[in-house]
Amino acid sequence: MTQRNPSDAPLTEATRAVDSADHGISKKGLSAGSVGLIGAIVIGISCIAPAYTLTAALGPTVSEVGTQVPAIILLGFIPMLLVAFGYRELNRRMPDSGTSFTWATRAFGPWIGWMAGWGLIAATILVLSNLAGIAVDFLFLLISQVAGNPEIADIAANPFVNVVVCLLFMLGATWVSYRDMQTTQKLQYWLVGFQVLVLVIFSGAALIEVANGNAFDATPIELSWFNPFAVSDFSALAAGLSLSIFIFWGWDVTLTMNEETKGAETTPGRAATLTVVIIVALYLLISVSLISFAGVGDGEFGLGNPDIQDNVFFALAGPVLGPLAVLVSLAVLTSSASSLQSTFVSPARTLLAMGHYGALPKKFAQVSPRFFTPGYATIVSAVVASVFYAVMRFVSENVLWDTITTLGMMICFYYGITAFAAVWFFRRTWFRSVREFFFTLLFPLVGGVILSVLFFTTLVDSMDPDYGSGSQIGGVGLVFILGMVVLLTGVVIMVWQAIKRPAFFRGEVLARASAD
Amino acid sequence: MSDVTIVVGYTANEAGADALALANRVATAAEAVLEVVMILPSEARNSLVPADAGYERYLREQSREWLAEASRHLGSDVASKLHIRYAESYAEGLVAAAHEFGASLIVVGAAGGGLLGRSRIGSVANELLHSSDVPVVIAPAGSREVAAAQGVTRITACVGTRPGADALLDAGVVLARATKAPLRLVSLVPIDLPHGLDPELVTLTSTVHAEEVLDEARQALPDGVEATVETATGDSIEDAVRALDWHSGELVLVGSSRLAAPRHLFLGSTAAKMLRELPVPMIVVPRTTRTS
Repeated sequence: MTQRNPSDAPLTEATRAVDSADHGISKKGLSAGSVGLIGAIVIGISCIAPAYTLTAALGPTVSEVGTQVPAIILLGFIPMLLVAFGYRELNRRMPDSGTSFTWATRAFGPWIGWMAGWGLIAATILVLSNLAGIAVDFLFLLISQVAGNPEIADIAANPFVNVVVCLLFMLGATWVSYRDMQTTQKLQYWLVGFQVLVLVIFSGAALIEVANGNAFDATPIELSWFNPFAVSDFSALAAGLSLSIFIFWGWDVTLTMNEETKGAETTPGRAATLTVVIIVALYLLISVSLISFAGVGDGEFGLGNPDIQDNVFFALAGPVLGPLAVLVSLAVLTSSASSLQSTFVSPARTLLAMGHYGALPKKFAQVSPRFFTPGYATIVSAVVASVFYAVMRFVSENVLWDTITTLGMMICFYYGITAFAAVWFFRRTWFRSVREFFFTLLFPLVGGVILSVLFFTTLVDSMDPDYGSGSQIGGVGLVFILGMVVLLTGVVIMVWQAIKRPAFFRGEVLARASAD
Repeated sequence: MSDVTIVVGYTANEAGADALALANRVATAAEAVLEVVMILPSEARNSLVPADAGYERYLREQSREWLAEASRHLGSDVASKLHIRYAESYAEGLVAAAHEFGASLIVVGAAGGGLLGRSRIGSVANELLHSSDVPVVIAPAGSREVAAAQGVTRITACVGTRPGADALLDAGVVLARATKAPLRLVSLVPIDLPHGLDPELVTLTSTVHAEEVLDEARQALPDGVEATVETATGDSIEDAVRALDWHSGELVLVGSSRLAAPRHLFLGSTAAKMLRELPVPMIVVPRTTRTS
């Protein structure tokens, strides 16, 4: 799996009998490429799921940086971009389903590699539970809007109903992922187009209401919203940034779809650029219009109101759009649904690679013979995400908010390691060309440093019981506890696996290497 | 070696093992060439999940291992080749592979859940039955327990009560020659009694008609091919099927429905009922085969 050239892949005597790889991949295989520019953009947008991402992240970000959300969005993109360059180089050199896990193991050895894999899995499992949680809220909202009975939307707040419905969502998503059921490309185009259109209408309506003087807390748009230096202190900036890392998470896939895209020379770059331009424009439009409509105060619909912050569209769709609010519910629901499947893929594939290389039990490497999906790993991810959500729903008053904050931290953790892995893996070729200097040294190094600073700042700050949503256990912030529990659980499982399966941890399976 | 080529759609599960075992048995008996094909999902069908070259390669390696493992279950005297193909759907990939190799038969496994020894068509086999222009056989669950040494002991072609089953007879003759198995032509006559009719009269006319068709069919057989004929009656198709004797090493041929597009398969209601009831593999032959 790690050889540079697929045709060099190790073949046992037995497997050599299968006709050669070149012949085996017929014209209809991936080598011919079939994802065009628009297809790549659609996949990119549907992975980022802007409608879901913003409704989950806008509130927590406002609580950290107030009106400077647009500035944070612009700024947050920079470390993401820098790390994505390193990611792309690694993916080109060692395409492997284990991504961060495999690359970090190659660069830094089994222990760090294992934790990078763990970070990726933890982050995706956190987001799975959050996605499903948001979907539950909007499902009830949608039903209440259709039925014209606002009380139905409140049912989502009942923890038992909430958990049961959420688990049903998870079950459905697992089923779809396990069987690798795909929507048609055409339907996907419509869904993404619908999602973008609704977000534009939503923002436009908010701005019109502001102009008509019907806004909840009309706040005049100022240039300072785009100035990151206007954020009160560094901690707030760091917290805001680690949240904005989350909102761009998933964008990197458009950058790495290189070999699969038609016209592999230019399309991936173009697709990634266009995707990010669309996403940034959308994010800015929505954040500016919603802040301008609702302000950042803690009034009923104020973005500073902790009661609505973990799911702002849920609260604001009605006041802004009136009867058309049902569109927002539909957009967020479809956005979460299509994102659920692409999200399911990453922990499952990483677990599969870890099983394959002997860093986890072999069972994780099982591929469903009928559907060609990582069956066992998919089910384990789903079960863990479900249990995690159910526990969190009862432990935290603000489960969605806390998971998003912890998620930002986890992304910084494993993306940071990935960035450094890129730098270290390419250490012998840094100065071979100007291109390599920038893409394998400077960009990932700066990106990695930024992410580590964000990670440690968030970690330290989150000890404060007032951090984020203000959930706490025994005087320590819940986000810190959550982050620590996740990371330490990883360490414990790692040590356990090291005792049970020492070969991987002795570096006998995946040896350290560097590009030369 | 005969010039018969068999494509088997392999999956690394019980259904795949059934398909492989049946294909192996037929290939041994017919000295046919066996093309074992695994169909992997092509990324082209992907609209949601970004393609991942690493995972693709993992699947390819895994499939090779599966194929290599599968090939160990094949008879040593069977000429076989292993292939990996990509397609947007399993059925599409198999039909394309059958064309590529000029195969005259596609073997697939049945989905799980059929009653003991009987096949239940899975969605995949169903799609294949609706789109293939090559005869398709669905290996009943449990085929993997039938030894290859059993060979093919008889070929039974189910001639309908309506004339015009040339493709079916051709396929039966080719198979019988290749496997050196005796050919049997049967007609299943369900007696669905409208009220007020004399049952014996109806039975008599139906049977007589069936025998005429069978006779016609037998006369249409090429010189040197002998065939026995049998007519089975019963209250229903299922009854008629049960009224006949079946060898465990037997292969049954039925024509595809008259509703099918020319040269494509479509499982008619009679064939579907038979598939449920038959204890032996059933080959569905398109109305006009591609090669004829």
